[in-house]
Amino acid sequence: MPFREINSKMVEATVVPGQKMYSQRGAMLAYKGDVSFTPNIAGGQGGLMSMIGRRVADEATPLMTVEGSGTVMFGHGGHHIQVIGLTGDTLYVEADRLLAFDGTLQQGTMFMGSQGGVMGMVRGQVTGQGLFTTTLKGHGAVAVMAHGGVIELPITPGRPVHVDPQAYVAHHGDVRNKLSTALGWRDMVGRGSGEAFQLELSGSGAVYVQASEEKL
Amino acid sequence: MFRLQGSKVLAVDMTGDSVKAKNGSMVAYDGHMDFKKLSGGGEGIRGMVTRRLTGEQMTMMEVKGQGTCYFADRASEINLVSLHGDKLYVESSNLLCTDGGLRTGTSFTGLRGGATGNGLFTTTVEGTGQAAIMSDGPAVVLRVTPQYPLSVDPGAYIAHQGGLQQQFQSGVTFRTLMGEGGGEAFQIRFEGDGLVYVQPSERNTIGGDV
Repeated sequence: MPFREINSKMVEATVVPGQKMYSQRGAMLAYKGDVSFTPNIAGGQGGLMSMIGRRVADEATPLMTVEGSGTVMFGHGGHHIQVIGLTGDTLYVEADRLLAFDGTLQQGTMFMGSQGGVMGMVRGQVTGQGLFTTTLKGHGAVAVMAHGGVIELPITPGRPVHVDPQAYVAHHGDVRNKLSTALGWRDMVGRGSGEAFQLELSGSGAVYVQASEEKL
Repeated sequence: MFRLQGSKVLAVDMTGDSVKAKNGSMVAYDGHMDFKKLSGGGEGIRGMVTRRLTGEQMTMMEVKGQGTCYFADRASEINLVSLHGDKLYVESSNLLCTDGGLRTGTSFTGLRGGATGNGLFTTTVEGTGQAAIMSDGPAVVLRVTPQYPLSVDPGAYIAHQGGLQQQFQSGVTFRTLMGEGGGEAFQIRFEGDGLVYVQPSERNTIGGDV
């Protein structure tokens, strides 16, 4: 694990020569040793095509490359930080929630609308999470930001998890998601319970949920 | 049935029973859940009239189902309170969730309400079961005994339970009027036997400006 949690709002990463790391631009709080920070114009990895992909998808949170040897402390906006370890699976997360991640992870963009057809499109509009999401794949660790604390809920076959779209942070594993609505006439006349839309995640993996319904 | 997952998320395990929770506070669930809107001030016509009169617009929902439901609200800290036939007084904005079997109502708080900035009425929870209340920062529970009354800043007060009389205390003096006050012009004084929940933060009150 290249990340060490100092407290709930700060993580420390060890950088070794020959190993890259990416972080959100401006998220460095302090560093020790000989470390260089270079703005990453491509906004990540994967060459020109994936850069265009991210621009089009509006998932282009400015990133910087962290290289050298030493330790770097990351934190941003006083947000809670959750470190997620990946062992060959894929993490789905909004780009603006990414604080830092291992350079060995493959970064990509996924069109969420393709999952669930028209409802997928609706989901993006309703949840405010956008139609695209960033994916990270491989072996390594990711530091993700959230408002308030984060809980990890396991998703197992036959036991799907429903999440408030505003409280959803990220998920990993072999998981399908769809927007389920509990819209009844009560919601139409403004007497709803305030839980009209839910994101249903099924399959096997885990979802990270924040203790708040506020965006970052 | 109620358990804390960290300090900011409440997990409620349900087996066909129901709980009342603040509207929109569900963050996740597994199993099957139904959400139905309720209104504060109690049930029926009397409750409706109370709501209209008091303006204590506590919007709550009834959650019923099988599985585990997770609740959280704006990253507030959550405290569990056990009730054994007694009454809990809580500001409606600080009430997150209660057992379905607990009765909720509205009570007149007198002059104190004006100074806390929460209106003249407060929410009551009565019966036997558990309730979850929210605070801005970890709350402390202070014991009040007949020998040791307690004075609390209205902005830091969140709830109390037990046999307590409350009294509004003002230390407004000539200096306060001259703008030379200590900033602690108003307090709520609790006497009797019970518990008072205090948060390490002060919401905006009229009293706070004096």
